[in-house]
Formats: sequence, C-alpha cells, structure tokens
Amino acid sequence: MASKIKVCRIAALLVPIASLAQTSATTTQTLSAQISPIGKVSIPATVSLLSGSTFSAYTGTLLVSQRVRTTSSGSASITVTGSAEFTPAGGPTIASGALSYTCGSATLGTACSGAQTMSTSTQTPVLIVGSSACTGGGGACSSTDPNTVSLSFTLTNSPAYKTGSFSAHLTLVISAT
Amino acid sequence: MTKLKFRSTPHLWFALAVFLPIRLWAQFAASGTTTVSVTVGPEAAIQINTTTTTLTAASVFSNYTGTTNFSYKVRTSQTSGAAHIQLEVTTDFSPTGGPSVGTPPTAGDALSYTCSVSSPATSCSGSQTSSTASTTSVATFGAGASSAVAGNSGSVGWTLTNDPTYQTGAYSATVTFTISAT
Repeated sequence: MASKIKVCRIAALLVPIASLAQTSATTTQTLSAQISPIGKVSIPATVSLLSGSTFSAYTGTLLVSQRVRTTSSGSASITVTGSAEFTPAGGPTIASGALSYTCGSATLGTACSGAQTMSTSTQTPVLIVGSSACTGGGGACSSTDPNTVSLSFTLTNSPAYKTGSFSAHLTLVISAT
Repeated sequence: MTKLKFRSTPHLWFALAVFLPIRLWAQFAASGTTTVSVTVGPEAAIQINTTTTTLTAASVFSNYTGTTNFSYKVRTSQTSGAAHIQLEVTTDFSPTGGPSVGTPPTAGDALSYTCSVSSPATSCSGSQTSSTASTTSVATFGAGASSAVAGNSGSVGWTLTNDPTYQTGAYSATVTFTISAT
C-alpha cells in the first residue's frame, strides 16, 4: 500500500514536466501583407471668400491635406470640380467662369501651375504625385504627414451680383495607382 | 417601465480614447467636399476721368462752361438699398479777386451744373448750384441697382458766371465727387 502511494506521487511530478517539453516545440507562420496604392484627402468644411476693397475680387485659401502611396509604376492625382453651383440665384456662378484658383507649393508632388478656372462639368487639376511616393516616415517617403497643398481662390466681384450671401460646393477627388 | 441609465465608467473612457482618434482620422477619404461662401454687399466707386476741367467763355461776357466726365460702379441692396453721387466745392476759387462759390463778389454769381448720368441712375434735375458748405446731388439710385462690370458713365456740365468785376487772371477750385451705396 505504501509503494502504491509512492508511484502516484512520482506520476504527479512527471506530468507537468512532460507538458513543459511540449511548449518548447518550434513552428513557423508566414505573415503576408498586400500593400496597395491608396490616396486620401481631407479639407476644411468651409472656406470664406472676402473682398479687400471696393469692387476688388473676393479671395480665400483652402488647405488641402492628403495621404498617398503610389506603386513603382503608378501615380496619384487630386482634382477639383464645382459639385454644386452658387445659391441662391442672382449672385456669382461657377458656370460663368467667375471662380478661379491657383495652387500653392505642395509638400509632395507637383501642384497645378497658373490660374485654373473652376468648372461644374469637368475636373480641373490640383496635384500630381509621381511613382514610388508615400506620405510620412521619411526615407523614401516624405517627411511630412499629412502632405499639403493650398488653393487660393479668386471670385470676380461684379456689380451685377445681387447683395446677399451665396455658397457653392466644391468636391476634391484623389486617386492613386 | 424600464429606464436606461448611462454611467461614466472606465470602459466608456477607454472606448472614447480608442475610437475618438479613429473618427478624427476618418476625415481623410477618397474625396472631400467644401462649401465656398461669399457675402456680397452694397458697394460703390467713382472715377473722375477729367482730371482738370477748364471753363471757357464762348463769347464776350458769356458764361464760362466746361464738362467733367466720370465713371461709376454701383451695387445696391435688393430690398431697401439706395445710392447717391454728390459733389461739393471743397476748395474755393483762388487766388482772391476772381469768382467765388462761398462768397461771390456779386449776388447771383454762381458755379452751377447740370447732370447727365447713365442708367440705372436718375440724374439731378435742372440746374444745381454748387456749394462750399454742403454736398449737392448729381444722381440717385434705387434698390437693386447695379452698373456694368466695367462701370457706367456720367458727366457734369459746369456754368460759371462771367462777372465783369472779376480781376483778370487764372483761378482754380477743387470739387470733390462722392458716391455711396446701401
């Protein structure tokens, strides 16, 4: 009876040891990630245009922030279009070519050159980013995050405009390959 | 009757700390929309195209006459707006001894004018007598008035009494035109 008890105690000690031996086994696991080109843009909800003096044009600036990654053979672009005309009627209109903009220097890519006339029917250029470009982190990527480019708007100040407040919607679209 | 109660717990703060930055970061998207707004107010501007107006007499002791041309831009508010073009002799004729708007040597001597201002203005009516003490009307505009983009034109035709008592010589005065709009 006494020897049976001894056996049982030994068995109880060996079980944990055997369990520890199993955890030391090695295995490999392959982790893979598909890094795709992507672009995202962020802009303020509103931009106000103001006139500095009597019948001088209304002006304002919009800061466009973007994060982008392009492939070794790809590119990215940002375009803008007048997605909704000025309302109410009687004031300025995008369709008449009254709203134009110039691009400031970009922290990544090449900003548009010269004055661009805003359109409600076609997209006009804001920024082009070349291949193998990426936002943030430094090294092969830009050191700034997010990247930015500014748009300076000019709206003609015609005496024919009715007095009042007018607003239009602009949509910026970014695409990357 | 079941009432739902929300309590501030560590779990709630943890959730806010984790998800709030994600929501802010979500401002970045494949496209973005912004509202461009502008407030158009009443405005008015005037440009005198005849820098110096020379008054001349066509015949012996006939009155001196001349014309001052100007351009204006105007926009008045739709409901209760209005605009005015006015002038005032801000510096009387000098040197002394000749004509004077403020203190004419003879009663009845005057620098008077007529107006011709293109629509949408209403030109002053008849002959107006200029003054050194107050402004006088050249044109008025009603509510919802607007000029062309390049501006509209107007003119003032001057008549200065040719009084034999004026000493001979050259005399000049300064007239200030003012336009205002509401």
